[in-house]
Amino acid sequence: MFATKRLGKELIKIQQSLPPGIDFVSAPDFKQWEMDIRVLDANPLYLDQTYRLRFRFSTNYPIEAPEVTFIPLSQPLRTIPIHPHIYSNGIICLDLLGTQGWSPVQNVESVCMSLQSMLTGNTKNERPPGDEDFVRRNTQRPRDIRFVYEDSTV
Amino acid sequence: MAHRAVALKEEGNKYFQNGEYTEAEGLYSQAIQKDPSNPKLFTNRAMTRIKLQQFENCMDDCLKSIELDRVNMKGYYLLAQTQLALNHPNEALTSAITAYEKCLETNDKSTSAVSGLVLQAKKQKWEAKERERIRNRSSMLRELEDMLMKNKREELRQLRLKMLDFNEEAEEKSDIELECRKKVEELRTIFAIADPKNLQRREVPDYLIDSISFAVMHDPVTTKTGNSYDRVTLMEHFKRSHTDPLTREPLRADDIRPNLALKQACEEFLENNGWAVDY
Repeated sequence: MFATKRLGKELIKIQQSLPPGIDFVSAPDFKQWEMDIRVLDANPLYLDQTYRLRFRFSTNYPIEAPEVTFIPLSQPLRTIPIHPHIYSNGIICLDLLGTQGWSPVQNVESVCMSLQSMLTGNTKNERPPGDEDFVRRNTQRPRDIRFVYEDSTV
Repeated sequence: MAHRAVALKEEGNKYFQNGEYTEAEGLYSQAIQKDPSNPKLFTNRAMTRIKLQQFENCMDDCLKSIELDRVNMKGYYLLAQTQLALNHPNEALTSAITAYEKCLETNDKSTSAVSGLVLQAKKQKWEAKERERIRNRSSMLRELEDMLMKNKREELRQLRLKMLDFNEEAEEKSDIELECRKKVEELRTIFAIADPKNLQRREVPDYLIDSISFAVMHDPVTTKTGNSYDRVTLMEHFKRSHTDPLTREPLRADDIRPNLALKQACEEFLENNGWAVDY
């Protein structure tokens, strides 16, 4: 409904300034944007790595959450960060991005910051339980998955 | 007779949906002949007349439907659209606000479209004011320019009276012309610089902006946290989740309160900055 207008304004702001460690990559239209994030402290899990995020917006954004995933790339090199809430196919389990946890006052920048701090705070060098199985069978998009948010410590 | 009118209306609706407005208008007119007391027939015909850009006739239909049914949101909504198309922003604003109030009473699904129309009317009102302002300003500029020209003509007349030889006269004449052109340029520059509207940066203060739609608010309401949102976008959010957007605590539609002071601030801002509607 007002997705285009709102995204247009977010884009203007994003192109002017962004917090450290968050970079704008591309926004060819108001359906799909890409952003890069880096962890700023010396967390050895993510040292010197940059990760690519893909945002997909429905026409009901920001009433509906965007779909946000990490995507792998070879040029420039982008991998999927290791994290107990990030599957190796890039799908993220974060309540903020789910129907329950999303709020329309969130935006692209605040989502990037949340993901950045989710990585910063992590010490576990592991994937979510059942990752292999999930990735092998899962051809769904994040919005079709019902996550259970049981762990609020990470 | 009335049921015959309804049948004609149904048929008209089919044509309308297919974009065949002339046919639809004809059918609605027939329906109105059968039953001139049904306000819906008039609003339907008004809708097709908007599509056909027959705004004068459309206005009659809107007024007639309102006369038949005073609590008829659609009548006011279409009337506002028509008045906007006919460039009557003040009247359009009044009609749009009436339509908006009726929407809130009945929780109508067009509330957001009507709210947008209110803002469009405010914008058109500002545009009219802006045109007037520029006209007034340039009339003063024109007057000053005329005075410079008059001076130039006077100097040229004086020059002729001096009875100089041909070359000297031509030289002095071109000096006078040049001098005058420079003065006019300077005058125009000064006017451009002196116009505060040209210097002002087009920015909307954050507190007038709805943090969900990022647009200027028209009907701000406050939640328990003290934050304000536009009623329309908050309602849109409630359709999905009855929570406070900031805290995610439960929030019901009757927990919210109008923020009248902020509403006035938004209105005042738009009166002088109508561009902000599309910003």
